[in-house]
Amino acid sequence: MNINVRILTKSVAQQYAFKRIVTFSTKPTQQAAAAAVPQQQEVTGPTVRKPIVPAHYRFVYPEFLPDPKVEWRNAVREKLERLDMLDRRRQIELPEFYVGSILAVTSSDPHAAGKTSRFVGICIHRERCGLRARFILRNVIDHQGIEVVYELYDPTIQKVEVLRLEKRLDDSLFYLRDALPEFSTFDENMEAEPLEEGAPVPINDIKVVLRPRPWLERWERQNLLGVANIEQYIKDKHRKSAEKVQKPWEKYDLMKQYRATIPEEEQKEIFAEVHTELHTLELQRKRNKRKRTFVKPKHLA
Amino acid sequence: MLRTVLSDLARLRLNGSVCSVTQVREKGHLNRPRLRNPYWFIRQQRSQTDDQVTGENRSFIKEVIHDTYGTPALIKGVQTYEQKQLIKTNELPVPTEPWTPAVRRCGVIARKIGQYPLWLKNGERIRTTLLQVVDNHVIKYIPPEEYKPTQRPNVHNLNRYGCALVGAESTNPAQLTKEYCGIFRDSGVMPTKNLARFIVSPQAALAPGTPLNVGHFRVGEFVDVRGKTVYHGFQGVVKRHGFKGMPASHGVTKTHRRPGNIGGGGEKGRVWPGTKLPGHMGNRWRISKGLRIWRINTKYNVMWVQGSAVPGSTNGLVYIYDTILPLRKPQAAPPMPTLYEQPEDEAPDDIWYEQVHNFKDESITYKPE
Repeated sequence: MNINVRILTKSVAQQYAFKRIVTFSTKPTQQAAAAAVPQQQEVTGPTVRKPIVPAHYRFVYPEFLPDPKVEWRNAVREKLERLDMLDRRRQIELPEFYVGSILAVTSSDPHAAGKTSRFVGICIHRERCGLRARFILRNVIDHQGIEVVYELYDPTIQKVEVLRLEKRLDDSLFYLRDALPEFSTFDENMEAEPLEEGAPVPINDIKVVLRPRPWLERWERQNLLGVANIEQYIKDKHRKSAEKVQKPWEKYDLMKQYRATIPEEEQKEIFAEVHTELHTLELQRKRNKRKRTFVKPKHLA
Repeated sequence: MLRTVLSDLARLRLNGSVCSVTQVREKGHLNRPRLRNPYWFIRQQRSQTDDQVTGENRSFIKEVIHDTYGTPALIKGVQTYEQKQLIKTNELPVPTEPWTPAVRRCGVIARKIGQYPLWLKNGERIRTTLLQVVDNHVIKYIPPEEYKPTQRPNVHNLNRYGCALVGAESTNPAQLTKEYCGIFRDSGVMPTKNLARFIVSPQAALAPGTPLNVGHFRVGEFVDVRGKTVYHGFQGVVKRHGFKGMPASHGVTKTHRRPGNIGGGGEKGRVWPGTKLPGHMGNRWRISKGLRIWRINTKYNVMWVQGSAVPGSTNGLVYIYDTILPLRKPQAAPPMPTLYEQPEDEAPDDIWYEQVHNFKDESITYKPE
């Protein structure tokens, strides 16, 4: 199964390479990392030192990487921001999750009965960095699609639970807005489905069925992998115009990629700074969880 | 020159009796420039020519600089020099005159280093801009009697305020002109990249060499921030004034982003002054006034200020003053003339305003009624 997943990720990565480069700091490097991980395991030379910071940190904590726009960068500001983020993370567990994971967020709400509200939904988008990091949850409640934007570091958030940790085939799932409602309907009382420790995050390759046009966006232009029936609704003219706006050369544009990402050396520096703190927090949480799950067996008879 | 003019005039009068014509090719009065720049407006950078200085000499120059001003050091997040020759802050005279609301204190030079949100204790999100006070030192104080501003103040303010010259960001004096370095000689401060003058009351006078830190301001108070706005170049009315433009289709030709009509006819048949038209956008000095300080970090000399519309680009220079808005002036006395930081006293790194949520605190919850 493990090999299967690896092949899947590889094929996905290859398909990703044809996608437009989004200005999200980790995205284009994702394929590189996926390709790099198995290689590292093979090379077991005596001179190769194992890096202290795990390679997956940039996907687990993408908001620790600053905005790659050069004019907006400042070392002192970034440092202060990271310190604040760590302070917040000491108060609340902000677990690893991806676009496509199903989350439950409990937050303080002055207008709700009991002053707290809990929302379950699928994460359809994740964006921004630093204290501004935010994500969108979507669910269909009483036949009405509901989306809530949560800021990750908002102190009114009391609890973030990952009910199902998985990825989808696309970077953002805005097309769920135009899909049949059953694809974004999730039970509010859903039980958490824990993954095995150390297991890779599974990729859900479900293909979503879209409603007929009109759509909110021109999905046929976006090279979506997680949609089943785009062809059913588009005409020749759409196909032609979609072909016109394609930019297949962008995958060769190294400068574009460079500008849209934080260089690996800087990533290492940044994570070296926060790694120990994050790691201890992780361990602490793991220990607490084990304590909580352990139920003392009752002495029978 | 005056003398020559007078003698010419005298000659005119003399010769007038003889009825011969002498041409005077001067205006007959002295032509003084109206505006005179202050003496510190001089060329800063020396022309960088290859001076045929040997490597040994270069290292000698470096050594001299280190001997006089100290070695390079990272102080409060800013790359500078440890200036040990400066007067110790605990030796500075304690001001005797009390603070009154009419006193004008010195300001500071800062850099806008970015912006990020903070949350209030009631759960409200606020946008803040981070301003870092960069290695400020007072270079000179000119008392009111000696200070001659370029524009003569009105009678009410005549000889009322002095001027404090403040420098920020020490730099290598070997790259600066001799004249520019001369400004700093008496204070003993290392020559700085940036200079600013602040109009101060004599009660708030500062001794040369005094460092200015973020402790000059207090959390919860209001400041005015002056900066040069981002330059956009020559822009049309849609970007410059937010005009709507005209539709892209429906028979519109060649007027999609044009201003349209700019004036009436008849009696008002001209373009009225102040009409919004295309032109240069940005690159102007602007002051955003009455911004609250939400939080202060004394370790990095950073203050978090209300709003994300502080003029200037990120990493650009801004000048911070006590606010002039009458209703937001401080009620209690601020540090006068500034806060002298003692190395021994242990101030907390982060000072939060009482309304702001500290990230080290627990999540915000509301009490049920």
